[in-house]
Amino acid sequence: MPKITIDNRTIEVEDGVTLLQSCLDEDLEIPHFCYHPAMTAPANCRQCLVEVGMPRVDRETRERVMDEDGNPVIDFMPKLQTSCSMKVADGMVVRSHRTSELVKRAQKDNLEFLLINHPLDCPICDQAGNCPLQNQTYKYGPEGSRFEFRKVAKPKNIELGPRVVLDGERCINCTRCTRFTQEISGSHQLTIIERGVRNYPMTPPGVVFDEPYSMNVIDICPVGALTSKDHRFKARIWEMSQTPSISTTNAKGSNCVYHVKDNLVLNITTRTNMGVNEFWLADEDRLDYKKFNENRPDGPTVRGQARDWDAAWTEAATLLSGVDGARIQFLGSAHATTEDNYLLSRLAAHVGADTPSYIPHIEEGHGDGWLRTDDRAPNSQGCERLGFFPVDADVLKSRLSAGEIDVLYVMEDDPVGTGVCALSDLEGVKIILHHYHSTNATLPAASVALPAAMAVETVGTFVNCDGHAQRLRPAKAIRGVNRTLAMEVGKSRADLHGTPFDRWYTESNMVDCEPGWVSIPAIAERVGLNLSYKGPRAIMAELSDSNPAFQGATYDAMGEWGFRLDVVGQSEPHPQTA
Amino acid sequence: MASKAGDWRNYERVLLPPVKDLHRLDVFENHGGYDALRQALTTEKWNPSSVTEEVKKSGLRGRGGAGFPTGLKWTFMPPANPDIPRFICCNADESEPGTFKDRQVMEYNPHRIFEGMILAGYAMTIKTAYLYVRGEYADWITHMERELEKAYAKGYVGKNIMGSDFSMDIVIHKGAGAYICGEESSLMNSLEGKRAYPRIKPPFPAQKGIWNYPTTINNVETFAHVPLILSRGADWFSSIGAPSSPGPVLYGISGHVNRPGVYEYPSGMLISDLIDHVAGGMRGGKKLKAVVPGGSSVPVLRADMIDGVAMDPDSLREAGSMLGTAGMLVMDEDTDMVSFLRRITRFYHHESCGQCTPCREGTGWLENIVTRIDEGEGNMKDLDLLIDLCSQMEGRTVCALADAAAWPVRHTITRFREEFEAKCRPSLVATHVESAAV
Ligand SMILES: Cc1cc2nc3c(=O)[nH]c(=O)nc-3n(C[C@H](O)[C@H](O)[C@H](O)COP(=O)(O)O)c2cc1C
Ligand code: SF4
Ligand code: SF4
Ligand code: FES
Repeated sequence: MPKITIDNRTIEVEDGVTLLQSCLDEDLEIPHFCYHPAMTAPANCRQCLVEVGMPRVDRETRERVMDEDGNPVIDFMPKLQTSCSMKVADGMVVRSHRTSELVKRAQKDNLEFLLINHPLDCPICDQAGNCPLQNQTYKYGPEGSRFEFRKVAKPKNIELGPRVVLDGERCINCTRCTRFTQEISGSHQLTIIERGVRNYPMTPPGVVFDEPYSMNVIDICPVGALTSKDHRFKARIWEMSQTPSISTTNAKGSNCVYHVKDNLVLNITTRTNMGVNEFWLADEDRLDYKKFNENRPDGPTVRGQARDWDAAWTEAATLLSGVDGARIQFLGSAHATTEDNYLLSRLAAHVGADTPSYIPHIEEGHGDGWLRTDDRAPNSQGCERLGFFPVDADVLKSRLSAGEIDVLYVMEDDPVGTGVCALSDLEGVKIILHHYHSTNATLPAASVALPAAMAVETVGTFVNCDGHAQRLRPAKAIRGVNRTLAMEVGKSRADLHGTPFDRWYTESNMVDCEPGWVSIPAIAERVGLNLSYKGPRAIMAELSDSNPAFQGATYDAMGEWGFRLDVVGQSEPHPQTA
Repeated sequence: MASKAGDWRNYERVLLPPVKDLHRLDVFENHGGYDALRQALTTEKWNPSSVTEEVKKSGLRGRGGAGFPTGLKWTFMPPANPDIPRFICCNADESEPGTFKDRQVMEYNPHRIFEGMILAGYAMTIKTAYLYVRGEYADWITHMERELEKAYAKGYVGKNIMGSDFSMDIVIHKGAGAYICGEESSLMNSLEGKRAYPRIKPPFPAQKGIWNYPTTINNVETFAHVPLILSRGADWFSSIGAPSSPGPVLYGISGHVNRPGVYEYPSGMLISDLIDHVAGGMRGGKKLKAVVPGGSSVPVLRADMIDGVAMDPDSLREAGSMLGTAGMLVMDEDTDMVSFLRRITRFYHHESCGQCTPCREGTGWLENIVTRIDEGEGNMKDLDLLIDLCSQMEGRTVCALADAAAWPVRHTITRFREEFEAKCRPSLVATHVESAAV
């Protein structure tokens, strides 16, 4: 591994990487805009300039030339170099702004240039508070500006496509967005048009920027030039708490950040996980947040009447105790956590019912081999690994019509809404339903309806389509007091300069719901089964120990980046069950 | 310092000889056209490496502005590999203010360019050559396409040239209409159908050029010299003009002279000879004020700085300028240097591709300030700010356009500072007194 010296500190770096990346890897900040680790480096922003020197080599002997003190003689290059385009080499000596006045000056000069035509409308800009241009200007920029002319006017408020809005004046021409469509998504829907100081990104004539990954450019744009049509002007970054978690829109389990204000999820942005989604997040993952806020039920009901939790749990237990286990059908859920599904399977076994099956949410042709999958649920793999089979609608319907089912226990899904059966099929069947939404189409038939915490309100594990087990973290609070949730709820903030303003504790918009790992043990207890654990962490610990399909997947092992489970035998086709 | 052009008055033109209708293939053939090519392809004496050697020995340096030794550049190409395409490209994007010599060659001696390109292609084992012509030269493109077709028909270009086993195509490409397309890496992007943004170097074209394959780019005039270097010999070529940059040179002379135009003479001509004797002296008998010797990017020289200065790289460097493209702008005593600079800054502002921050933002800012001064609205401190901005641009960008934009500002101000100061507002106090008086 080559050794390089940065600001008098010698470090070993990976061969073949750029100087900028090796500095960033060492937590040595170098201001930059256009460089992105996943894309080619055009070195156009000119912000990452450093002084670079190489040991002098004797032409004859090919040996390094030493000075009187026995140190290698370093020849510095006559011009400052862009560290993003410079590959490291053994013996390289680098001076950054920490040790070089020249570099410091150059960085300041460059920021002065960047700002002369920038509108400086931070007070109304969505990027403010989380803006590389703003942050780096505070740190490395000049105090003021010597520019005394009218700024260049460029198109503003341009909808590049259905989801992304451009403010041409804020653009600093880093070409990250155009490179994204050329090198990452391959849609080629953006290019820079005009010339010189009038440059800005635009779609080619007749093209709409509507690719399914278009909103990634909002994340990578180092200024507020590209904003989300959906989220813009809704909340300042410092008014929201940011919780790292995973997306629930498909089976990829892309890592994301939930932005929450007043217990409402207002935005979803990407979170880098090189083992899953790398730097990117599909638009569908980003826009799929209203479900966490809208049509949420308010407390449990028994046959349509509001009850307290205790009464509802007791009623559910009564329904389960009154019948032969073979006449109870349990449906687990590909939307629910592995822990909750596991508890459900324990409850099913206890009352003598079959292993739960689950409702598949497959949308043929939706997947693209990248971050979108045909499977529109986040945890089918978790269900499969617990031994659940996808439910066969025909078998279920014929069993219902043959009167073979007395109690249908549905956890966090909607058999009627998904078309697995019709409301009319359910006549005379007692239904216990854990549901997310008051619009759940099975709800009218439910004997006991238990509002369930959604993925942003609970702790648990999803297993993605590649067998990657990942933890969910609660991003917003629910009505009930729950120590486990309180300890895990997101409190991180992306803005670095704001005031303490976290809103996660606010009383408003809390949903009266309970996670499965609260409700199921409460029902279990009432049918004589002890399912009390110290939270999902303990459940997963047990599962990782006892079930080879989850071997090793403890919360510690999953950590921030998830844990890749062993491939388990899935060569046999599924027998179709109900 | 003295002229290095020797007996230039009796110089016999070779690049643009006084032959009527030389652009016609039959006339060109009658005057030794394609002879060098025939020799190279059909006689024992020549093979690819001996052609390169001869060009190297001739001392020919690139005529596109940077003056890089041509033969040496050709040796940067990696060894030929039949599986890996490689290209040469002739840079005919000529757009720098004050430079209009390539157009002359294209008009009067197009086959010479083709012949030079094929020879270069032979030397570097090339199958496809591009000729990238400035888009605005639409008439010259038509003209050259017509002549190229004739060369194809006669077997000088294309398959098995002159019956040899060497084949090469020449593709004429119409430029994308921007000065920046002439910068070689930008030209390659433009040729590939991309936006003409210069690439960072390294990698250099010989490593990763057109479509990322090895490529050599030379200027029109550079290629046009190659046939005669082969037919008359490297020694003949290197004996012409200034030894450090030998050979015939096309001097483009414009501005306040009696006979502006393109003139072929040995390299190393004295600036004063070019103005007084070649271009017929100053227009209206006016006094010389300033000369920009090599296209708008190079530093301007005051009249008192050109004594004995010859048009060769060393002499010009000593004098405080550069040879560039040898396109000379001559200005007489009536010239307003502020307004001259205003026009130059406008050009670079207009032509910056906008990729790099210092160039995109700096070129416009420079124009803003110089315009303000020209309109009498400038302040003294603007002059220091201009110099400061030059320092913030120079050497900090992807290509040399930012330098080319900054140098004229820096040098015109430092060399004509009084003129700039005279146009600036005298001082705040004076303004105040004036307005109080109203
Ligand atoms: C901004 C800019 C514009 C240029 N324009 C031209 C041009 O129009 N024609 C040209 O031959 N070279 C131009 N060059 C120089 C080319 O990059 C390159 O050096 C030249 O074509 C090499 O040919 P030569 O070695 O034969 O001189 C330009 C360079 C810069 C930086
Ligand atoms: S819009 Fe943003 S990402 Fe795109 S070029 Fe401009 S600053 Fe860069
Ligand atoms: S220096 Fe100017 S012209 Fe050259 S690449 Fe940068 S912005 Fe473009
Ligand atoms: S990050 Fe290096 S030039 Fe932009």
